[in-house]
Amino acid sequence: MTTNLLQMRNFCIIAHIDHGKSTLADRLLEQTGTVVGKDRQEQVLDSMDLERERGITIKSHPIRMMYDAPGGGNYMLNLIDTPGHVDFHYEVSRSLAACEGALLVVDAVQGVQAQTINNLYLALEHDLTIIPVINKIDLPAARPDYVAEQFIDLIGCDPDDILKVSAKTGEGVADLLTAIVELVPHPEGDPDLPPQGLIFDSIFDPYVGAVAYVRMFQGTIHKGERIRLFGNDKQFEVGEIGWFRLKRMATKSLAAGEVGYIATGAKDVRHVRVGDTVTLAEDPCSGPLPGYTVVKPMVFSGMYPVDNDQYDDLLDALQKLQLNDAALTWEKETSAALGFGFRCGFLGLLHMEIIQERLEREYNLNLIATLPNVEYELKTKDGTVRLVENPALLPDDREIQEIREPIVHAEVITPKEFVGPVIQISLERRGVQNKMEYLDTERVAIGFDLPLSELVVDYYDKLKSVTRGYASLDYEYARHQVDDLIRLDILINGEIVDALTCIVHRDNAYNWGLKLCQKLKELIPRQMYAVAIQAAVGTRVLARTTVKPFRKNVTAKCYGGDISRKRKLLEKQKEGKKRMKQVGSVEIPQEAFLAVLKVER
Amino acid sequence: MSDARGRYGLYIHVPFCSSICSYCHFARTDRHDSGLRRRYAEALVREYELRSEACPALGSGHRRLATCYLGGGTPSLLEPENLRRVLAGTLGRSETVDDPEVTAEANPESLTAELATVWREAGINRVSLGVQSLDDHVLRLLGRDCDAATTARGLELACARFDRVAADWILGPGVELASLCDQLDRAVDLGVEHFSLYLLEVHRGTALQQDLAAGKLAMPRDAKFEHLYLGAVRHLAKRGVRQYEVANFARPGAESRHNSAYWRGVPYLGLGPGAHGFSGRGRYANPGAVEAWLAPLEGGRLPDGPVDPLDLQARRLERVILGLRTTQGVPLAWLPAGFDPEPERADRLWDVREGRLVLTSRGFLRIDTIEEFLA
Repeated sequence: MTTNLLQMRNFCIIAHIDHGKSTLADRLLEQTGTVVGKDRQEQVLDSMDLERERGITIKSHPIRMMYDAPGGGNYMLNLIDTPGHVDFHYEVSRSLAACEGALLVVDAVQGVQAQTINNLYLALEHDLTIIPVINKIDLPAARPDYVAEQFIDLIGCDPDDILKVSAKTGEGVADLLTAIVELVPHPEGDPDLPPQGLIFDSIFDPYVGAVAYVRMFQGTIHKGERIRLFGNDKQFEVGEIGWFRLKRMATKSLAAGEVGYIATGAKDVRHVRVGDTVTLAEDPCSGPLPGYTVVKPMVFSGMYPVDNDQYDDLLDALQKLQLNDAALTWEKETSAALGFGFRCGFLGLLHMEIIQERLEREYNLNLIATLPNVEYELKTKDGTVRLVENPALLPDDREIQEIREPIVHAEVITPKEFVGPVIQISLERRGVQNKMEYLDTERVAIGFDLPLSELVVDYYDKLKSVTRGYASLDYEYARHQVDDLIRLDILINGEIVDALTCIVHRDNAYNWGLKLCQKLKELIPRQMYAVAIQAAVGTRVLARTTVKPFRKNVTAKCYGGDISRKRKLLEKQKEGKKRMKQVGSVEIPQEAFLAVLKVER
Repeated sequence: MSDARGRYGLYIHVPFCSSICSYCHFARTDRHDSGLRRRYAEALVREYELRSEACPALGSGHRRLATCYLGGGTPSLLEPENLRRVLAGTLGRSETVDDPEVTAEANPESLTAELATVWREAGINRVSLGVQSLDDHVLRLLGRDCDAATTARGLELACARFDRVAADWILGPGVELASLCDQLDRAVDLGVEHFSLYLLEVHRGTALQQDLAAGKLAMPRDAKFEHLYLGAVRHLAKRGVRQYEVANFARPGAESRHNSAYWRGVPYLGLGPGAHGFSGRGRYANPGAVEAWLAPLEGGRLPDGPVDPLDLQARRLERVILGLRTTQGVPLAWLPAGFDPEPERADRLWDVREGRLVLTSRGFLRIDTIEEFLA
């Protein structure tokens, strides 16, 4: 490749979810002739079915485009399509660090959202050149002028600098390409110095092992050379090196300024972590690039096969998913109610949902997932401190000195008429408001410190419902903080169902227990006999409800009739009961384990 | 004389009726003439041959024929020569046990002394009479083409001519317990040894369904059904007729061997329109329309119909649902893990006897619900 640095542009697209990032990427690929003919489809860069279906990007997808600028000159444009969700905040920040410019895309109908702002700040932290883009101007409800004003307020740009496009129709995309070449600075870096490359993502390939996606900041790495990673000091031989089209394109080397990949042969992506710096073992650069952290899971959930026979399959599936997802953690766990399973750790709720969905769809597993919870710091009376990821493992109240829970900084952006309800639901969830800022005449940014445990339960759904979907949320971990927390157990027919145990604030325990019992009563179907549901703190029962026995209709089909039909009917009913877990003699449906999510406060 | 070889059954469906009962959803037709009935008899024999070839496990001496059942429809509408042809071409060509049970269903009004003689000579040794009721009002509500007096005469004739007589009653609109018990008493006194009591079911497309929709009559409520059913169960027991299946009652030793074999999972050949058969490994069903069944057989091949190959799991499930129908019940070991068999907890819908779960009469009445939990 002979393109010199002056003709390279590395950029990313940042946007709130659903603002059209992937569609805009599609148009750029088309207009530069990168994707033609049979490769054309919606969201070309989103390779997982799940990504296409949910309209989200989970992994980064870099791609190189060659662009003949109308004014002359052939440019190499590297687009790094980043994940667009708060759960993948760290990955986003690493992708941004690999670029010189960012297209900040905002939906012409919805305007600026929480993630827009967060991503913008993140991009500014990395000194990226921002190109403001208003997308979806083809929609009848589009308000480009209004959104333009938001942009001007937000980044202080000139109205003429704002590009108005429709990724759907392609309108304005040609101008956008010109703007990228004109505005985004070319990369710098000496290809002859010792190599220094940033790993901004990594995937696992069964044929070549862990593959690092890298942005070279200086030097040149060749195929066959021995590389070294700063973070874990491991060395690998470069089995393959190259750049990205829709697939990986092998080449001989990657030089300063370029974006490409290095196949390391590592057996596990956890050895090739996002944010790490790659250099040569023999000729190392002076030090790592800044900003490397090992991301830690924030949200935990027990995952159990409904059918115990699927335990090994679940283990196998988790191992396979982990190959490609360094942020997923799990350890074996046994529940008296659910049998053998795993306590899994996730970056956030979306990450959790994605993993659960992939386990079920790609690995055909039938799972029970317990209520998501957070990691508590527990200080016992004997002075030791330990972490508890599973509420059921919290010891007796008398042994506990204090419990600290994770608190997040949450930022909500909402139209001003919903400020009251937003504050109300946040305070109900033990939030402490610490910021309120008018972004313009219509929108308000409100900041809260909020226990993560409250956020993972139902905060986002509730926020969406009280603001009719208009509010947006972003959050980041702040600290662990002491509060008066206790363990609330649920007993079914007198036996504690450990998978339903939760940790709540002492003041809310009674109310919470009562509502949880009522909700479980709705969710547990009638059985052959009465089912008693109790909520208890220690030995003290706070609330009790009963599921009445099945009303046994006189339905005897006295004719023996068609046995095949009868059997198939029963098989179908049984299929419907697949998501039921037999706990003692009671059949409990999957929803019941998530009952807390459905409790109205 | 004992023979270690297995047994099998033969079911022959005769689809002809003189009039259609309002509740009936079986394969039946009232459009037929002697030409069609003759073609039917020939095709039935042909089907026996083809099925025996297709299923050698039943046909070639591996198993002996133990029971034969002619159901309908109305087998008593089949003229003597057609009946002889059918039995000679099937039963007559099978290796049977020493004393096969050969049952034919009859309508009370179509059973005559002459027919009884023909049947006995053809080998029929048990008659099942579709009495349904001995009350004119109830018979009218059911759309039966026959009054109570005629029905009673048919019952008397059957009891006079056959050692083994079974009779069916329907529990439905207009039935009162006192009258029902009187009717059952009359039948017991005449010598009926076997009773079937059916709760009337409403099937789509029947005249009964239209009548109900139009408000011409109403189905009894659950409580009324329960009152009738449990009352009849108790009454028959007092007369020495014991419940041995959801809908079937007999003097000890007089149980239907043919039906009992169904519930034990014994294989059987089913012949005729709408008939079902069971090879031991899978089930098949014939098309219900007479022409759809007849045409392929006249062309020398078996009619197409649904085939249900049973895998191990399906066979297990069948074993449970069939076993639950009888007073033999099912071993607790067959029931799902975690199932709590304690009868007190289940409102005495079942008993546990010698490691087997056996439904009580109250349980039988709710078997569909119970199956959902036990299957």
